[in-house]
Amino acid sequence: MTEALMHIIYKKDLCIDLRAAQLIVQDRMMLQNAREMPVLCDIREVRRVNKPARDYLALEGSQWITALAFLIDPPVTDVISSIYLGTHALTIPTRSFTKKSEALAFLKKHG
Amino acid sequence: MPNTDDFRVKRIQKMLLEMAKGNFFYSLEPSDKNDNIASLVVMLNMVNEEIAAAFIHQGFANAHNTPQCIIQLSLILDAKGQIELVTNGTCSLLSCMPKDLIGKPITELMTENSQRTWSKKMTKHLKRDRSETVLFLEFITNDGLFLAKDCQISVYQALDGSGQKIVLNSVFFSKGEPFETGLPKNKLKVTKGIKEHKVTLTPEDIQMIREVHDTILNNLDKDLPSLKDLALHMGTNEYKLKYGFKQIYGTTIFRFLTQERLRKSKTLIQHSNLSLKEIAHMNGFKSAAHFSRAFRDKYGKTPTDLRR
Repeated sequence: MTEALMHIIYKKDLCIDLRAAQLIVQDRMMLQNAREMPVLCDIREVRRVNKPARDYLALEGSQWITALAFLIDPPVTDVISSIYLGTHALTIPTRSFTKKSEALAFLKKHG
Repeated sequence: MPNTDDFRVKRIQKMLLEMAKGNFFYSLEPSDKNDNIASLVVMLNMVNEEIAAAFIHQGFANAHNTPQCIIQLSLILDAKGQIELVTNGTCSLLSCMPKDLIGKPITELMTENSQRTWSKKMTKHLKRDRSETVLFLEFITNDGLFLAKDCQISVYQALDGSGQKIVLNSVFFSKGEPFETGLPKNKLKVTKGIKEHKVTLTPEDIQMIREVHDTILNNLDKDLPSLKDLALHMGTNEYKLKYGFKQIYGTTIFRFLTQERLRKSKTLIQHSNLSLKEIAHMNGFKSAAHFSRAFRDKYGKTPTDLRR
């Protein structure tokens, strides 16, 4: 984390369930300490996010985020982010990128 | 062999077949590969979860005329975890014959993750005479599909003195036969009371109500306009909005608003230092007292209790 940006990297072959999602959100919120900021989410190594986790991340887990960029590696994480974005009403600017530089540019513009 | 494309495609076909039959409780094992087939597997699992959620909800919202078919997973095991009895439902869920299951250790049907959970938790529970717990277990069917669910586990003493036994139970909802036969009607009826159909929702109405749903979600911190104004704004009438929303989402607009506000508040109570008053206001509650009452109604304890 820097002053202006939260960078979350998910570990290899990670399957995220509700418990994991809650821990991720807890850690993020503790680090942020009520400061709103843009978030870069590197999900390239993620292989599964189940529905309770997706629902939690979309509502409870979206607080204090001004803009969200997913860093993806098609095709698997492309599909994960597309379904997540397509099935949840998100309040903040959110997009997926394969290039980190583009993701950062997006966050800079919207964050 | 399990990693050849041919093998993986066959698994996908099996999964699709189950979905076509209305069985949304299976899933496919995620692979660590990052190729097109892996992306299809991931997509299928996620789409399956979305359909399952909508499908169970439909049963809930419209229980009067959509009977559900229930399949029970039910096994009796000895204290070592060997299967002594299985129900027919269990066999069909796991696509096995009873003779394939009886005498086998239950762990042979589980993923490695679940095997670990099982041995860790059951050692503890088997120390007592009687014990009950719920474990999230993943089984692998004979066809290689995953079956993941919370299972109710009870440990008891057999009356004939043969020692401890374990009962494992879980229930799955399936579309199955009991649904209305014939062509599906493309219009959804809104029921007020038990049977009386009063409003017919067109696909446009359903789309409009979904928009209302999403708008509420995206404006949880703001005051909700009156239903009359909201209906006017959406180009519909109050009646259709009110009962249509209830029909589609199984709850009233105001209850939904409060529920979603409470979900966000709970996270803030747990993971921030903001005062309860600030949290109440940030999430659109008029007063801390109202917030506290609504919170207790949903979670069984007040925000102050949760903070402690």
